[in-house]
Amino acid sequence: MNKLIISDTKIAKNLSGDVFVNKPELNLTVATAILLGYLATSGTSHAAFNIPTENGLNPEPVPSPLCIPFSLPNGQTNNECATEFTAKLLMFEEFGLKDISSVSSGSSSLTSTFPEPVDCHSSPDGQALDNFLKEDLHSLPTRRSDQTDSGTPVITPHPWDAKVRDCVGLLPNTPTTADGRPTGEWFAHQRWEEFPTKAYFQSAMSGARVNGGLRDKNQLHDYKKGEFGPGGLYYLDANNDGTPGSEGALIRMHQNLPVQEPNSVWTFDGTLPPKLLMARYGEPILFRHYDALPIDVAANNGFGKNTISTHEHNGHNPAESDGFMHAYFYPGQYYDYHWPMVLAGHDSINIGATNPKTGAPDGNGGITTVRGDWRETMSTHWFHDHMMDYTAQNVYKGNAAMMNYYSAIDRGREPVNLTEASTGQKSVGDSVKPGYACHYANPNNANLCLPSGSGLDWGNRDYDVNLVVADKAWDSNGQLKFNIFNTDGYLGDRITVNWIYKPYLDVRARRYRFRILNGSVSRNFKIAIVKEVISRGKLSYTKVPYYMIANDGNIMQHAIPFPNSQSPDALPEQAIAERYDIIVDFKGMTPGTKLYLVNLVEHVDGRGPNKVVPLADALGTSKKPYAGDGINGDPGVGKFMELRVQSYSGTDLSMNPADYQETVTVAGKKIPGKQMIPLNKPTTAELNNAVHRSFVFGRSDGTDAHPWTIKTDGGAGLAADEHRISAAPEIGKTEIWHFTGGLGWSHPVHVHFEEGQILYRGGKAPPIWEKYARKDVYRIGTLADSTSNVDIVIRFREFAGTYVEHCHNTQHEDRAMLLRWDIQHPGQTLGIPTPMPDWNGVQYDPSVYLPTYKTGDVAAKSSFILPR
Amino acid sequence: MKTHSAVGCLNTLLICTVAISAMFSLVGSPAWAAPKGSPWGASYFPNIELIDQNGQSVHFYDDLIKDKVVAINFIFTHCGDSCPAETASLRQVQKLLGERMGKDIFFYSISIDPDHDTPQVLKEYAQKFKVGPGWRFLTGSKADVLLLRNKLGLLRDGIEANKLAEHSTSFLIGSENKGQWMKRSPFDEPKVLAWMLGRNLSNFKSYQNAELASYEGADKLPKLSAGEELFRSRCDSCHSLGREDGLGPGLQGITQLRDKAWLARWLKTPDKLLADKDPIAVELYKRYNKILMPNLKLSDADVEALIVYMEASSKGLEQAALSK
Repeated sequence: MNKLIISDTKIAKNLSGDVFVNKPELNLTVATAILLGYLATSGTSHAAFNIPTENGLNPEPVPSPLCIPFSLPNGQTNNECATEFTAKLLMFEEFGLKDISSVSSGSSSLTSTFPEPVDCHSSPDGQALDNFLKEDLHSLPTRRSDQTDSGTPVITPHPWDAKVRDCVGLLPNTPTTADGRPTGEWFAHQRWEEFPTKAYFQSAMSGARVNGGLRDKNQLHDYKKGEFGPGGLYYLDANNDGTPGSEGALIRMHQNLPVQEPNSVWTFDGTLPPKLLMARYGEPILFRHYDALPIDVAANNGFGKNTISTHEHNGHNPAESDGFMHAYFYPGQYYDYHWPMVLAGHDSINIGATNPKTGAPDGNGGITTVRGDWRETMSTHWFHDHMMDYTAQNVYKGNAAMMNYYSAIDRGREPVNLTEASTGQKSVGDSVKPGYACHYANPNNANLCLPSGSGLDWGNRDYDVNLVVADKAWDSNGQLKFNIFNTDGYLGDRITVNWIYKPYLDVRARRYRFRILNGSVSRNFKIAIVKEVISRGKLSYTKVPYYMIANDGNIMQHAIPFPNSQSPDALPEQAIAERYDIIVDFKGMTPGTKLYLVNLVEHVDGRGPNKVVPLADALGTSKKPYAGDGINGDPGVGKFMELRVQSYSGTDLSMNPADYQETVTVAGKKIPGKQMIPLNKPTTAELNNAVHRSFVFGRSDGTDAHPWTIKTDGGAGLAADEHRISAAPEIGKTEIWHFTGGLGWSHPVHVHFEEGQILYRGGKAPPIWEKYARKDVYRIGTLADSTSNVDIVIRFREFAGTYVEHCHNTQHEDRAMLLRWDIQHPGQTLGIPTPMPDWNGVQYDPSVYLPTYKTGDVAAKSSFILPR
Repeated sequence: MKTHSAVGCLNTLLICTVAISAMFSLVGSPAWAAPKGSPWGASYFPNIELIDQNGQSVHFYDDLIKDKVVAINFIFTHCGDSCPAETASLRQVQKLLGERMGKDIFFYSISIDPDHDTPQVLKEYAQKFKVGPGWRFLTGSKADVLLLRNKLGLLRDGIEANKLAEHSTSFLIGSENKGQWMKRSPFDEPKVLAWMLGRNLSNFKSYQNAELASYEGADKLPKLSAGEELFRSRCDSCHSLGREDGLGPGLQGITQLRDKAWLARWLKTPDKLLADKDPIAVELYKRYNKILMPNLKLSDADVEALIVYMEASSKGLEQAALSK
């Protein structure tokens, strides 16, 4: 299985004739010297690779420097360079949920108000912010933003009223509001009483600052359990004060790179590590999101907008909590997002909540059953900014977090022994904990027992690691930079994982689950995993086997083995916002073994990927080593993360993905493998009755020379307009949507709300990793794993309101490539007007409709041949 | 104004426009320097010399964008299809912005064909489109304009530099002292553009509070025909459905005035009819300030839908007149 790629190439020549040993220890000084030498001899040549992205003709792209002297707290200067695989990966930090019942009515005991910044250009003081966020909710959440739930009108003035007036120049008689959610019924929480909030968390989007340890006590593992406990691989004491936690963590991409200034990076809390929400089905969540960004829109160090809207990608959430691009709020304001944590099919399937697979961890080994379709169980999400025109800039700047859904199926807990795996009873005399029993031991058990850990009832992250991979670029001072003028797409030249430049991660010699999110603006990846082999002084790499278990965060019917005949070197292409959950087994590898995640997709500019680089070239072990120097090649290609194997003393009782393949061989016979989550395929009736809609992404009508529009249902090519409703599916119905693009561009099409299933990719059956997948991003493009058209089937259940669909190359999205669609009730005659948020509250503009908003594309329907 | 509730919105916006102007004169523009920490200031924008339609020499950064809210596009005056549509669309935005044009909001149309587009030519072009105050048409050296297009990200690639017809029709809206720059298309709703310029980029606006209703008790959804949608997005920047002229003729009764087959050909390939010296086409061209009717690359179905819509609209107007 493990094929040796190249065994005899340890010497690589670069184009200027310098020779260097291609070893992991290759130090940066040498590389830089070579690069400089090359630059000197090629001064007049024009870089073919526009990375980091500049505008069309000039200036030449400048690599983000890795050697930047900066002052240390002790007054000395750090002259060390950042080198690859020398910074430790940051593990995600939990937001930590609190019980809503702790919130007293009116919260009169709370004394603090949302802290005010000292001037128009700053975020509030970090300590003050922590003190505020540490307290309970400062006002009771309400169904409508302008009324209490008993109907009394509420308007709370903006907490920074005077400062806002001063900074913005508001007239004295103009009111301001604290709640940024649009008023009235339109953006009232749907089914508010039916899905009462059980848990909440609050955070403030804020300028970069030192982590004050706000959430150190809110981690499920409490820095005591498993690998997060003392002596564990992921124990953290960021400031080395003897008390575990992220207190003291700085915002920087490497210990040898300068700390980011407050207005260079904006994150949840204003801190790193990146944040993770750990949520359970049946536990509706209220997220109170404060905007603690500078009042002055200009205070952004060159990019990013201080008004924000938060999209939980791709939660089954009502529209008012979906982060509509035009339901944004202002500095000093908050927005209450209500995420009901219900399964799709809640209204129609398993309404007695009797199916034990349809549930959530109860905290004590049991399963709290919920209504809905367990086949719609979701796992790996993220939430991020969705501000009109500024999504790319804001997400790149740090407005993104991950979110893991925990369920009976995907509990994040492994058994402690085989008895528990089969019965849920650890040993004789112990109580039976059905939530701990594994599906692999008995198909009636719900828990798939995916790699995770067993110290906690649910949500063990010892062997379940969230990874957000994103390209970044920085200026000569090391401050994050972005080119707001090139809207073809923005590429950074430095690959980061969880914000760290080419990090390393220690792993145990056992199975791991990695939840990989492409968090870039315009860069697609194709990730290979290889093991380094040094034999008699010769360096080579071998491919290691692994399995994809979830596509776009949704566990599939079968685990897909990689490499495979359809994708022999790496995972499939992974576009922006796509998530691949994979399981890799490091068992049997000698401690000290190094493995690498390698990107194979080359970009030339931000329009879309250019080609897939052969693995051996990307590794530099072939006769044509890939030169990712920005001149001859894309600096984003190649190894970007190192895994260092450490010994494992436990017994790995997590599920073996090999048993869950489509077919498995038992006693020489091929039989169907076990199933994780069977695909809830649409019925023939659903397909036959579906309204069809077609969306063409790309260059459009001749006079529309600007490249990004969407043509809906054969209509004219249109740019984004928050007022225009292009489609209005009816709640409870199933539709078939056709996406077309191409012409040398790539577009990861993202449809909010429910997941779709791919019926055809390029007119053919989808590849195996999409065959059993529920997707929310549909790649159209030019590389091997993409096609110029995709046909999907998608349902619309439980909630109504305003959603969007767009290209998730966020520069394209921001430019124009986005459209609004609304889910409407049967017979609904009222269109939702368009919110127009302002400092003094949100008013509405009338909305308009495309003529085909109900009928869709009738011609496409009549010519469509349903798959068998 | 392109929505059904056109009149209401227009009024609101105009009122708000006046209010904003008043506010600015009272409070005065908050005077911050070019944004601290932002690279998009004097060191980024080329301060190239340009000449406007009145022969006045200006510098791009110092005179045109510094401390201003602006919309910038690149045109050439003998451009057949996209530029007239662009100019007509921006003209609607200009109307919506009213008095603020020339006070704190400015439009710049910069020629990418300086050899041809002398200040005099630009002046004629501006007059042809009846543009109002605060909108300058500019020309400069070819190299300077190319540099500017590149800096503003309105030059897609090298090929485009030498092909007038392939030029990017996107335009830039921005606020220099706020460091905010966004691209827009001429086919965006003028109302949205006016809102972006007059309010979003100006950090302020005031809208009337609309009375809200629940999902259940509500007005009927407006149902648009394909023709109406096309008309709103492609035609109404130059044509009204009544008798009053815009940049082009008012269209009430047009389906009776003209032979249907001719009308269909005119809608589909106006450039060809003109080139063939079709007498009606030539007469229209002369009567309407030699503004070319753009070839909108409509399909036969589009043309048919437009004709049906214009016919229905005319009938509606006639009946309304009769019933009075």
